[in-house]
Amino acid sequence: MSAGLRLLRRSALFLGLPVVLVGVWWFTSANSTNPYWPPLSNILTAFRETWLGDALVDDVVPSLARLAIGYGAALVVGVGFGLLIGSNRWLRSLLEPVLEFLRAIPPPVLVPIVILVAGIDDLMKVIVIVSGVVWPILLNTVEGVRGADEVLADTCRSYRIGGLLRLRQFVLRAASPQIMTGARQGLAIAIILMVISELKASTNGLGYRIVDLQRLFLITPMWSGVLLLGIIGVTLSLLFRLVESRVLNWYHGVRAAERISP
Amino acid sequence: MLEIRGLRKVYTGQGRRVEALADITFDVGAGEFVCVVGPSGCGKTTLLRCIGGLLNPTAGSVRVGGEPVTGPPQGLAVVFQEYGRSLFPWLKVGENVELPLKAKGLRRDDRRALVAEALDAVGLAEARAAWPWQLSGGMQQRVAIARAVAYQPRVLLMDEPFAAVDAQTRADLEDLIRSVWQRFGVTLLFVTHDIDEAVYLGQRVIVLSASPTVVAEDLAIDLPAERDQLTTRAHPNFLELRGRIYTQIQKAKRASAPTQRGG
Repeated sequence: MSAGLRLLRRSALFLGLPVVLVGVWWFTSANSTNPYWPPLSNILTAFRETWLGDALVDDVVPSLARLAIGYGAALVVGVGFGLLIGSNRWLRSLLEPVLEFLRAIPPPVLVPIVILVAGIDDLMKVIVIVSGVVWPILLNTVEGVRGADEVLADTCRSYRIGGLLRLRQFVLRAASPQIMTGARQGLAIAIILMVISELKASTNGLGYRIVDLQRLFLITPMWSGVLLLGIIGVTLSLLFRLVESRVLNWYHGVRAAERISP
Repeated sequence: MLEIRGLRKVYTGQGRRVEALADITFDVGAGEFVCVVGPSGCGKTTLLRCIGGLLNPTAGSVRVGGEPVTGPPQGLAVVFQEYGRSLFPWLKVGENVELPLKAKGLRRDDRRALVAEALDAVGLAEARAAWPWQLSGGMQQRVAIARAVAYQPRVLLMDEPFAAVDAQTRADLEDLIRSVWQRFGVTLLFVTHDIDEAVYLGQRVIVLSASPTVVAEDLAIDLPAERDQLTTRAHPNFLELRGRIYTQIQKAKRASAPTQRGG
């Protein structure tokens, strides 16, 4: 099979079910008069009217900016502390029970507390995102560092590879498959928390706008907001896969080589 | 170049006490090629890790170039048995060879030249841009050898480096390591469980006893410097030395049989 044909088949597989589902939605809702289940065609019209105007700058951009900042900060904090904790057995046994406890707290319940400390501005929303996203990244990084191959560690020691070079070329790379697993889980949590952080004491953002539309009984535009959230989620997850395939190209290569000759 | 004096290593843990090395003493001169052979489970790897500064001995001392070993010493390289796990899978072949040179603080041009020379010496000049996992086991071990050579060590330790490759590749690698040793003039300590390999490669063979381990015999290998898989292995001296070491190891195994099972 040629490469072009393979690509075509893969995209057909990838897009097949979504296209069918959208088609089913389109036709079954076409003649709907139920105000809560508006026709898809109306939702798409509302989508253009609601989101491609001022709301893009007023709501979508601030939401995505807070998402990016929160996710980025959680990556830096999670990987940073993960490397530190994972490299130190003593620190690890000291902190592990506390980390498991903190991780078990659902971040939405922190919103009122964070408001007390950080107010109701962007800072609060970013903190809420970080407080949920940091855990899978941190704990996966710790696991990844701990699981680094001993022979490679010995190789570093006997060639006196230390300091930053060791951190960059051994510890971080050895943990990168696990870090990416944590980052993928974190991304899903980040999108949820982006919306949740905007539900209380907020004046802009996607979450705020969608709830506002619902309160005003503008059900069709509200649906278009839900659609937009889905599209953002899929886009970010595709972007993530792109980054992952670049960062972990060696890892996929190793896995493929192992499958051929175990 | 290497002075090992009264080396002793006892592992303790979980109520068990294992005396891996009892009392090991020997020297290796500068530029010498010495093989260490012994029955399986006699602590060959423990010995090598103590010399490489990866493990602290219970008693005794190791000196490399006159300096006492307290951690991995400068100018010493190790080639491990597990070639598949000793190369960095996220670095290409050339980068793997180059990384220790970066740690050494060499300039880029110097690093390039050393990497090219080392890969050429092991016959992998073409594989510089390949990933390690794209290579066969024998080729991966050659990359590990190139990395050790490029590092320009005074002492090269090899821990059963060819134990996990097939017989044909193994013969090729044996000849390769002889040529590398002759070309770069490094002091080489080669640990193996294979008697033939030890005799074929070394200028001297140190025979270890079964655990608790001491040096059972220290033999000079009286064979021509130019070695060849066919003629050397058929040489009368080769057969005699091989027979002598074999008997020695069998004796060591029997002597320890009542107290210690081989493993």
